[in-house]
Amino acid sequence: MLLFRSEEMVGRWCQAHQVPWRPLVTLDQLWQLAVIWYANRLTAESRRPAADEMASVFAAVGLEGPFWDPKADTWRSAI
Amino acid sequence: MSLDLDTTVKLAIYTTIAETAAAPTAVAVAQRIGAAPQQVEAAFTRLYEKRLLVPEPGDPSRIRMAPPFSGVPTAFPVETRGKRYYANCAWDALGIPAALHEDAVIPAADAFTGERITLEVKAGRAVPQECVIHFAVPAARWWEDIIYT
Repeated sequence: MLLFRSEEMVGRWCQAHQVPWRPLVTLDQLWQLAVIWYANRLTAESRRPAADEMASVFAAVGLEGPFWDPKADTWRSAI
Repeated sequence: MSLDLDTTVKLAIYTTIAETAAAPTAVAVAQRIGAAPQQVEAAFTRLYEKRLLVPEPGDPSRIRMAPPFSGVPTAFPVETRGKRYYANCAWDALGIPAALHEDAVIPAADAFTGERITLEVKAGRAVPQECVIHFAVPAARWWEDIIYT
């Protein structure tokens, strides 16, 4: 995932690289994801969230729909 | 309580990176924990299957990614603890201060224009900044090519 100053720059990058426009995430959402994902990464208990947990994490920060479903096979039709 | 080999290897990797800002080789991890390098390489493979590690393509004795840390320089440096770490992406750039529980400065850039966008984590929060993050790959396909993702 990449960082941009504005939605306009995302659009120009997508056009230049022929990449479809995909959902955008705010800095606050990304920080929440970073904390949930990595706050205990240096401990023995750390692990990557399972698929169901991932979907719950995304929903908790406002990211919902097939694009954010780690088990989805229908994401193409939703974007 | 004794830890299994994979957990011991994982902790050795992350402890080394946190201390030095550099990813250790399988040989270095083996020396640190008193195991054979072949055992550690096998653990690298199992940790990859658990989505906790990405060995360097073509060289399973080296680490390309131990998320949120990158084993190689990237466009997402993270400055904290007087060191420069590297993250794999924008998410992981915030993940490093989250993992280290430290303030950090992230001198990143707009992926299209190259304009400097400095992100900052201070007192347990991301300092507001004018920016957006674009995910090019849906969650179901992140690990098909995690280096691209």
